[in-house]
Amino acid sequence: MLPVLLVRKAVTLRNALLGLRGWKLIKNLLFAGVGMLMLAALYTGFWRLLNYLEGVELIGPMLSWKLTSMVLLMTFSMVIVSSIIISMTTLYYSFDLKFLFSCPLDSRSVFMDKALETVFYSSWTLILAILPYIIALGRIKGLDFGFYLAYLFLMAPFVMLAGAFGIFFSMLVMYYFPSSKTRDVTWMLGSLSVGFVYVVFRFSRPERLLRPDSLEVVAQYIQYLQSPTAPYMPSWWVTKAMVAYSAGSWGAFAASAGVLCGVAGALYLLIYHLAGRFYMRGFSGAQGSPRFKGRRETLPEQRLGARYPFLRPSLTLYWKDRLMLARDARYWSQIILIAALVAVYLFSIRQLPLDSPDIKSFISFLNVGVAGFVMAAIGLRFTFPAISLEGSSYWLLKSAPLTTAAVMREKLMVSLLPSLAVGFLLITVSNHLLGADLFISVLSTFTILVAAVVITVMGIGFGAVFPDFNVENIHQLESSYGGFLYMACAMGYLSLLVGVEAWPVQMHFAERFGRDNPWDPRAVALSAALFAALNAAAFYIPWKAGVRNLERHEL
Amino acid sequence: MIEINNLTKTFGSFKAVDGLSLRVEPGEIFGFLGPNGAGKTTTVKILSGIMRPTSGSVSVAGFDVAARPLDAKRAMAYIPDEPFVYPKLTGWEFMRFIGDIYAVPLHDQKKRIPGLLDMFELTAASGELLESYSHGMKQKLLIASVLLRRPRAVLFDEPTVGLDPKSIRRFKGLLADIAREGAAVFMCTHILDMAEKLCHTVGIIYRGRLITKGTVEEVKKMTAAPGVRSLEDVFLELTE
Repeated sequence: MLPVLLVRKAVTLRNALLGLRGWKLIKNLLFAGVGMLMLAALYTGFWRLLNYLEGVELIGPMLSWKLTSMVLLMTFSMVIVSSIIISMTTLYYSFDLKFLFSCPLDSRSVFMDKALETVFYSSWTLILAILPYIIALGRIKGLDFGFYLAYLFLMAPFVMLAGAFGIFFSMLVMYYFPSSKTRDVTWMLGSLSVGFVYVVFRFSRPERLLRPDSLEVVAQYIQYLQSPTAPYMPSWWVTKAMVAYSAGSWGAFAASAGVLCGVAGALYLLIYHLAGRFYMRGFSGAQGSPRFKGRRETLPEQRLGARYPFLRPSLTLYWKDRLMLARDARYWSQIILIAALVAVYLFSIRQLPLDSPDIKSFISFLNVGVAGFVMAAIGLRFTFPAISLEGSSYWLLKSAPLTTAAVMREKLMVSLLPSLAVGFLLITVSNHLLGADLFISVLSTFTILVAAVVITVMGIGFGAVFPDFNVENIHQLESSYGGFLYMACAMGYLSLLVGVEAWPVQMHFAERFGRDNPWDPRAVALSAALFAALNAAAFYIPWKAGVRNLERHEL
Repeated sequence: MIEINNLTKTFGSFKAVDGLSLRVEPGEIFGFLGPNGAGKTTTVKILSGIMRPTSGSVSVAGFDVAARPLDAKRAMAYIPDEPFVYPKLTGWEFMRFIGDIYAVPLHDQKKRIPGLLDMFELTAASGELLESYSHGMKQKLLIASVLLRRPRAVLFDEPTVGLDPKSIRRFKGLLADIAREGAAVFMCTHILDMAEKLCHTVGIIYRGRLITKGTVEEVKKMTAAPGVRSLEDVFLELTE
């Protein structure tokens, strides 16, 4: 029965591709084109890095293979964590599961169909992201096209092995704790592990591994390079197979590839067997809802709304969102990831090898752009999806006596304070760590607060221009065309913002270096005017476009 | 009062509603009948303001929905065929949410919500999240929320789907009460028996065009076919 289920996926894909016409086709081609450009940029970066490593005398080839094993280990870990998060949804909560279970299908076939879906969704972005690295590696090592074919062949069992962790995890957890509450706990655990892996990896300072001078004894370093990276992990088997292919050792290649395929095959046979016993009980348990007992209380917003009736609609939407966010484990798991992102960011600032106070102050100024990027990334997860996450219930707001602008203003109200707080935290702690001078501290703090408002408005505005009320999860929104455009525009805005302020900053440094009369009032006025105009445009245009589009949006 | 004037809605080259005109008076229950894809849901969506007409106009309680949407929406209540509600709110919170959005005074909410929940046998479940409610429970909650706001016009799209027999009987009684209080009721339904017994007037839409409208008796007389006795017979004859 599994082939029938797989054919339906192929037919769905074919129909989706054939349905791409007109503006939809142009939009997708544009999206794909920009994606290719980003991959090309990654390729250039990897090529430079590998070219440099390969050129290091004596140990060059060892270095590049060592790095490859680390990249593959990291990819393997990330696919495992993704599969833990994704498998719970695909295996137990997909829209089509009730239909599939009502069909005369054996539960093992349904499980394997959803298991393959889990492997695909948890690995495709990571596999795509390391493709430029592999292409650069093949070119640097002077390998033929067969190397890439071998790589693709090895990737199939590699990602299946990584995905098996999530599949096993979900199957066992749902078997022993068959409840929908398990899903929330798994999301939290999954996000905690992503955050943990991310923080531990960064705090281990991997950059030191590429700087031999940081190790005391050369022999130790060479020994480290020659030793396997996690020898019992599939990432090392892939590395060994790739090394063997590049050296033309076909026997060694076949041995490593054989181990990889053999273990993957055995593991999926075991999964297939266990699915027959475990799947139905877990699926059945997932259908229930966790018990929840709410109280009949009057909320502070309701009391305030009764006192100030003109605020009542906004306050009503606000308490609705507040309660829903507090009860949704998906948001909490996102907050864990953001905390990890902020911790890594501040740690990286602290580790910057800067000696002179002038350089530190200058970096503090440029830091506005980087902190803004972090805020835009956070906005992509929280602010941009805010409108779309109204989901199928949006009809309630659309048919209610509320203006579209009022709905958007309330979404802004929910996101603005956290954005300002994160921006303020990032910039003040960074300025403190870098020892920025007063002028730069004041300027960067003011700028980041303005940028926080504008980036949040852009998030809501773009979210309203590209609403999707049918999405199953936030990740689909983040990787959508609208999400991509929001990030691109936020980046453009931040670059211009730093550019507009560069002039007064340049005069400030001229003053620090002791130049006479460095301040040109006309230049400062022009810079201030450009600053105001840029922010006004970045605030007004997405907001207005969002209001207009959402008003016209039909359900 | 609900008024539709020469309403047309197209999706690309497809005309979902074609030159529709009709009027539902205060206190009147109007049954809007038609086969699947005839244009019923599109019409009711346009009336509720969640879809825009291609041409023509609609007004509810004397307010043009396009020109004065907030006034029109304040005066009406709409229940779609799929009762999508906020899954992470409890039944009690949802009622309070609707009460706040439609500016029902707080003391009024506190007084009336328990009674409405009780009426639909939702009191025990009112502290639970809506994600745990069945389709029928959500539908009942939406109907209760309509009664909370006392609208002047009510738009129902297949309101009895998912309701148990007891709730359907109660719903019929409530519908008559709503109309008696002076509200205009516009109801899309497939249940011809219910339309025949409950509606003052019915209209049949077919391929976007209103092919007949009148009282049930008037509509029944519009077909000359022998042996025609029920609204179902008329419906089948006119839409085949």
